[in-house]
Amino acid sequence: MNAEAEGTVYPEVEFVVDPERVAAFRDLFGIDHGVPPTFVTAAEFAALPTVLTDPALAIDFTRVVHGSQEYEYHRPPRVGETLRVRARIDSIRHRGGTGFMTIAMDLVDADGRPVCSVRSQMLERGLPT
Amino acid sequence: MKERAEVPVGSEIPELRRVVTREDVVAYAEVSGDRNPLHVDDDFARSVGFPGVIAHGMFTMGHMAAAVTAWAGDPGVVGSIAAQFREPVFPGDTIVAGGRVRSVDPDEGVIALETWVALERDGRVGWAVKKGSARVRLA
Repeated sequence: MNAEAEGTVYPEVEFVVDPERVAAFRDLFGIDHGVPPTFVTAAEFAALPTVLTDPALAIDFTRVVHGSQEYEYHRPPRVGETLRVRARIDSIRHRGGTGFMTIAMDLVDADGRPVCSVRSQMLERGLPT
Repeated sequence: MKERAEVPVGSEIPELRRVVTREDVVAYAEVSGDRNPLHVDDDFARSVGFPGVIAHGMFTMGHMAAAVTAWAGDPGVVGSIAAQFREPVFPGDTIVAGGRVRSVDPDEGVIALETWVALERDGRVGWAVKKGSARVRLA
């Protein structure tokens, strides 16, 4: 991955909190009501392909593993609402042949108010020697 | 829903255990939109150095969040949740989510938890998530 991509801000994308998708998520995790806390992962995947295929970032996704994940909720998402997802590359570091990238995302509602802040660390494993 | 008076510091939340199946991983790829072939294509997974497909880290974290939600009684009271991923989880592994109350703010009703997800495979116990955390707001 290219460290010069640090700070890149990606175009906002929309994500609908679809009732059927929420229900499928609940069923998978045995949660009987509301929106499961990690349902917002689906919103991240509305924005993430654009980041991971950015030629300026030049990340080899076949070597990428997930290092850590943080969600800070400002309020629970509401079923049926449309969220806007804003992604940026917060930091890129290299250490011992491994690349460490932190992606930050803000999920905001139709009025622009924050719903969830996301930090996600991806590791690009070094090439075999 | 749970109330803050019921949660002494140091108390543990009930363990939540499940065997991860290949069907779970496929279902998670579908519902999350994370269709990385590492999770659904054995040949691809082997080509990048794994013995076969691995579960999504976010599947493990979703399970951890389910344990916190079951304990709190409502997903809407979860104010934050975080996880550092350790070992990969393969279909057939058993994951066991747990947590412990670290602090209680009696004024705000904010409970801080340390959380984890143990990993059981062939009689060996490791960590899918060794360091996790969550914050919930109780009435």
